[in-house]
This record gives sequence, structure tokens and C-alpha cells, in this order.
Amino acid sequence: MLIKYWPETTNLRFMNLRIAGALFSMVLIAASAFLMVTRGLNFGVDFAGGTVLELAESDAVNVPAVRAAMPINAEVNSARGTDGREIVVVKFGEAAPDMLGEEFKNLTAEQQAERASGATNELVVRTLKEKFNLADEDLLRNDSVGPKVSQELFTDGITALVVALAMMLVYIWFRFQWQFSIGAIAALAHDVIITLGMFALLQIEFNLTSIAALLTIIGYSMNDTVVVFDRIREDRRKYKKMPDREVIDLALNTTLSRTLLTSGTTLISLFAIYFLGGPVLQGMSFALIFGIVIGTYSSIFIASALVLSLGMDFTKKEVVEEVQGFTGV
Amino acid sequence: MLQFPPWKIGLIAIVLLWGVVMALPNVANMSGAPGWMPKKGVNLGLDLQGGVYLMMEIEPDEVVANRLDVLARDVSSALGGSPSERIRHLPELKGRTLEVKLTRPDADGNFPTQEALKRLQKLNAPVGGAIGGAQLYDIRITSADTISITVPPTAEESLVKDALAKTMTIVRRRVDPDGVSEISITPQGDNRIILEAPGEPDPQRLKDLLNRDGRMTFNLVDSSPAAIQAAEAGVVKTGYRLLSGPTTAPILVNNIPEITGSDIANAAQSFDEQNRPQITFRLNGNGARKFYETTRNNTGKRFAIVLDDVVMSAPNINEPIAGGNVRITGDFTQQEAIDLAAIIEAGEMPAKLQFLDQRTVSPTLGQDSINAGYTAALIGLLAVAVFMILAYGMLGFFAVISLACNIVLIFAGLSGIGATLTLPGIAGIILTIGMAVDANVLVFERIREEQKEGRAAWTATQAGYERALSTIMDANVTTLIAAVILYLLGSGPVKGFAVTLAIGIVTSVFTAYVVTRMVTVGWMKVTKPKRFNI
Repeated sequence: MLIKYWPETTNLRFMNLRIAGALFSMVLIAASAFLMVTRGLNFGVDFAGGTVLELAESDAVNVPAVRAAMPINAEVNSARGTDGREIVVVKFGEAAPDMLGEEFKNLTAEQQAERASGATNELVVRTLKEKFNLADEDLLRNDSVGPKVSQELFTDGITALVVALAMMLVYIWFRFQWQFSIGAIAALAHDVIITLGMFALLQIEFNLTSIAALLTIIGYSMNDTVVVFDRIREDRRKYKKMPDREVIDLALNTTLSRTLLTSGTTLISLFAIYFLGGPVLQGMSFALIFGIVIGTYSSIFIASALVLSLGMDFTKKEVVEEVQGFTGV
Repeated sequence: MLQFPPWKIGLIAIVLLWGVVMALPNVANMSGAPGWMPKKGVNLGLDLQGGVYLMMEIEPDEVVANRLDVLARDVSSALGGSPSERIRHLPELKGRTLEVKLTRPDADGNFPTQEALKRLQKLNAPVGGAIGGAQLYDIRITSADTISITVPPTAEESLVKDALAKTMTIVRRRVDPDGVSEISITPQGDNRIILEAPGEPDPQRLKDLLNRDGRMTFNLVDSSPAAIQAAEAGVVKTGYRLLSGPTTAPILVNNIPEITGSDIANAAQSFDEQNRPQITFRLNGNGARKFYETTRNNTGKRFAIVLDDVVMSAPNINEPIAGGNVRITGDFTQQEAIDLAAIIEAGEMPAKLQFLDQRTVSPTLGQDSINAGYTAALIGLLAVAVFMILAYGMLGFFAVISLACNIVLIFAGLSGIGATLTLPGIAGIILTIGMAVDANVLVFERIREEQKEGRAAWTATQAGYERALSTIMDANVTTLIAAVILYLLGSGPVKGFAVTLAIGIVTSVFTAYVVTRMVTVGWMKVTKPKRFNI
């Protein structure tokens, strides 16, 4: 190789650190759970319902002016837009029914609940347009989600996460052994919980793209874990007399340069999105960067360590045949 | 593993060529190209081209209630007739039940419920028009003087289905009367409609167009000053309503319409003699005849053209009007007149639309996002390329070639299946750039290990590819599972992310495992290296 980015052979005793790793992870999980309960996730309109508006900032349109012009309570903040210009972000829920006109007041409670979000949006947009004499193109974004859909989107997102985890569990069980399955799922759950803790700590907006980010982290972490598992299985068969602990350390060391290289190229891409992809993708790329680091860590200290604790057995003949599964492709 | 017979090389070349042809419209103007070549690039999502996304719903309860409301008019005619036949009654809509209360008992104090039931049964029809199927209405006697009409669940399902189809047609006619725009209208689930209008900057105009019931009626007017005075004081004459309009003072309008929306053949915007925008419409044969009879019988009186309880116009009938051509002049802008004509022609909504989810991105923001995504992809690609070449030398360079092929194939795949590229989708491509080299890294690491054990380049390559295969498959299948679930359960932009991720996984295995191997083998045949410098 042209650069010596890593010693040719490493002999790091990862499994000696597994107790420390387990403790570290438990602390992180506990902290994440605590943060999620106390601070909570900062749900975006996708899941919380309500409206978010983005206005191009100008001499007349700025945070204090918009705040003063708002007919209802709203969060008004300044942000950097995609091409570097300043934008004003306005986030609000529903207005009181008596502000939404005669026609609205005559609706049933159920109809009001469903229409309030959209009606409030109309009221606010009309007010701001009149007040600041806005043209359509000054209103960069106008998203408004009713309570019904936000509830559904949330349920669908959680379902997606749970189904993905279950499918992975089954696949690993089928391709390896149940011990590996447990190790892999524990590692994935670990990654998801700690990433959620990070969302709660930094109050990054949690929306549909965050669910996509979480699923990608699951996919990536799984990818990493499978590479290590493959090697553990291979080395276990190759070195019949070696203790499990040494076999796992050997597998981790031989895959280490691959682990670092692939994480490296993926992180390079993600940093490119984070710094150059604009604010819309910033939350997503941050979650992915964090998740890839935590996913790489969990393949070693959660997935592999659990396999060591649970024990494995590749002496049976049919298991050896199963290992050959894909070589005929 | 390392043998590439000519047919295999040909096949790989065909796949790559197909990729180039399919991906070409994304970077080049294809207007001058031969007819067999694709002309259109990848569809851009609304978050990239800007536009309005609306998710709307019709409520089954309201569909049923509206249906029963219409039925109430038929009930009156079924129980009406000559004085001897007439059964006096009072229909009342209570939620999802239409109660018909008979008001006049016979000499013995009995109500003619059996006779009324017999007549009302004639209004019943099989669901979906099939003979012998379930009936649309459940009509039964619920007390000595009451007949209740409800819609059973099976009939409701088919009513809602019909209503959704009808609503979609009306939505289309209202927002796109000329049928030329790129607006897409698709059903979702049993009672939802998704409207996507690329390039449209303002959701309000679309919502205003769709918010209206579109119930158009011609009603006779009681213009006696005494009756109006009484009504304004709070005593509205039975059978009448007090309505007004933008150019009309409050008038008393008969509840029973003479002409309804279904009598209208078409409507359009035009200009009157003073060149002011007006709406003209033509009644169909049935409507024109009814209109002629009404105007003949009521010459000298006033009639009102009412749209959604607003009086659009209330002219005097000077003479019987034949031919069925009607116009509404008023204080419209041209756009208002165009929109109103579209609403009148499209007809009445079976139920009011609820707006559940509304997203608007301005076209400028969309273009900014494309530029940002493009820069991020380019920088990411360059950095990964430098990294791979530094780490693996010549082999790394081959991996970069296959990475370039991969990006071409991703765009070809997106175009090929007509997928939509969204902003998270661009992120998916950039992520794939980072992850795609993984298969190469796995193989190269194996080759390096084999070399360390003393094998020569050729056998090390052979062993490297063979041993890495099962790992590559396992690793990619798991990511593919995540992508497929994301596609099935995700919505909007997230679906776009899942599609690019899934396509990227499939193409990256092909390019990283097959294309890189072919290039490597070709290079080894020419240079015959003893060892790789990795």
C-alpha cells in the first residue's frame, strides 16, 4: 500500500475490554433514556403536527418584526439558508377557534380538530403576506401537517424501525446462529437508543428524515457487524483449538483495517453532505456521522462481546455446510 | 472466478452502455438524439423542483350524510303525488340516519307506515348496480310513525369508493381545467387523494379551488318586501332561506332548486360587452327544458343563481328563456371568473375535502438544494477517490473507475424505473458513494492477507474474490432489508431516499465485485505483476 495508514498486523486485545465497554454502553444508554424522558425529542411538524414557514430575510422581514406581526404564539428563529442567505423560520401550532372565522366556529369539534392546523396556516400566511407585502417566492417553505397524519407518520416510522430490527434478527439467525442474532440485535438497539439520546441532548429536530437516518444507521451497523461475524465464524472453523476469546480478537484485528477504511470513506461522504449539502440535510448527516461511529464501536464491544459471552458452536456438520451458502453464487 | 470469456465481457459492456444511454439525459440535452434514446432525465421530487403537495381526505360519514340528504329530496317526491296519494311526512337527517316521520294518521289514528315503506323501497337500488347484490339503503319501520333509512357498511364502502373516484375527477377538472398542467392526482388508501403540483408557488389558490362544495343551483326568489323585512327581523318564511352575495342584497331564496349542477353541460370564462370578465354556461337538454318551463311560469319574478349558499346573480325574468345559455356578470377578476367556471363545470363534491398534510417548497429553494447536493456529491466523490488511491494504489484506482460506473448506473436505474429523486435521495447517493467501496475494500484486504501468506498476485486475487463473496452478500442483503422497509413504510422524500439506497446497493455490488474484477484481471494480463503494491 502507498500509505501506511495502519500497522500491517495489529494484535489488540479487544475482548479484555469488554466489561469496560459494557459498562460504558450502559452508562450511555441510561443517559440517553434519562435525556429522552427529561428533555424529550424535539419533534418536527412531521410528528408533532402544526406548521413551519421559512421566509427569506430582508430589511423589513426579520425575527423581531415577524414575531411582532404574528397573530398567534409562535417560535420565530433565524437560520442560515441553503445558499448562505439568512432565513426566518416560523413554527406554530393551532390558533384558538374564535380566531379562525365564523365558518370554522360552526363546525363540529371533530371537524375543528382536523381543520385547525390548515386554517391556522391560512390565517398566518395571509397576515404575514399583507403585513410584509410578500411575494410567493419570498415564502420559501410552507409545511403544515394535521394531527391525524402526524400521528400516522409517527406510527409508521416506529413500525419501520421495529420491522427492520425483526427482519435483521431473522436473517442473522438464518445465516449464523442464534447467539449471533442476539448479539447483532443488541448492538442495533444500542445504536438506535444512543442516537436518540443524542437527538434529545442536542435537541436536533426529529422528523421523517431522522427515521430514514436511523434505518440507515441500522443498515450500516448491521453491515459492519456481519463482516466481523463472518470472520469470527471462519476463524472459529480454521483454528479449532484456539479459545473463543482469542478467535474473536483475531477476527476483529484482521477486519480492523477494513472497518476503519470503510468507515473512513463513508464519513468523508457524510462530512461532505454535512458541510455542503445545505441545512435541510444537516440534521440527517449529523445523525449518520454519529451513528456510524457508534455502529462501528458496537460491532466490537456489543455484538462480538455478546457472542463471546453466549458461546458459539460450529462443530456440527450442517452448520459448516450452511457457511458455504453463498460461495456458489 | 478470474476467467472472463468474451460473452461475459460483452454482457458487462452492454449493462454499462445501457447505463450510459439511460443516464445521459440527466447531463445532456437530448432533443437532437435518435428516437430510440431516452429523452427525459430523472424525475425531480417537489422538494427539488419546488411546488405544492397536498394530502386530502373525504370523510365516509360525510359521504353517507350527503347521500341521505340527496335522498331526502327523492323521499318527498316518492311520498308526494296527487292529494289522495300524498302521505304527509317530515324528513329529518340525524347523523347517518334519515328519519321520515309521518305526520297525519288516518281516521283510526294509524299511520300509513306500510304504504310509505312500500313506496320508499322503490328508491332502493343494489350496490354497484349488480342485480341481487346487497341493497344500498336499509329501510325499516322503527316506530308507529317513523321510517328510518340508513346505509349498511358494505354499501358505505362502495359509496366511499365511488365518491373518491368522483372527487378525483372533480379535483382534476378544477385545478387543471384544460388538462395541460403537470399536476398529479393520485388516490391513497380508501378515502385519500394526493395532489402534487410542481412549480406552483402558492398552495392557497389550489386550496381555495378545492375547498368549495361546488353546489350550483337556480332557485326562485320571493321578493315581496314584507317577507324580506320579516326575515331580517328573524322570521324566515318556511321553505325559504335568506341569502346574499357580493353584488346582491339579502333575498329570500326557495329551498327547492329548479335547476341543479347536474343540468349544466359546460361553463367557461368570457367577456361581456364592456369587456369585463363574465362566466357563461350552457345547460344540457334536460336543464334547458326545465329552465324554459320555469322562466315561462314565473315571468316577471326574480330567480337566483346560487353557488355554495352565495347568490352569484339574481336577475328578473323578463321573458321565457329558451336555448339554455346563461351568463353571470359581476365584479370578477379574470382569474376569479376562470376558477369559478372550473368549479361550476366540475360539479358538486360528494363530500367536503379535508386538508391533512400540506407542503410547499419554493422553486428557488429547490434549485439551491440541487446545487448544494451536487457540490456535496462531487467533493465526496473526489475525497473518496483520493483516499482509495492512497490506500490501495492501482487497485484503488480500479475501484474508483467502478465507483464512477456505479453512479452512472444509479442514475440509469432511477430513470429506468421512473423513480423520483428527492433531497434525501441525493443524500442516499452520496452515502452510497462512501459505502460502495466497501465491497472493494473487503476484497483488497483479503488479497493483501493472501499475499502476506506468500501467494502470488494471481492466486491471491482469486482467493481474495472467492473468500470475500459471502461477506459482501451478507453485508449488502442486510442493508437492502433496511432500504426495502424504508420504501414500504416511508412516505414522500424518505421513499426517494430508500429507492436510491436500494438501487445503489444492487449496482454497487455489480460494479465493485464484477466491474472492478474484470478491469483488474485485464490489467494483470497485460502487466503480469508478481505482487500488488498494497
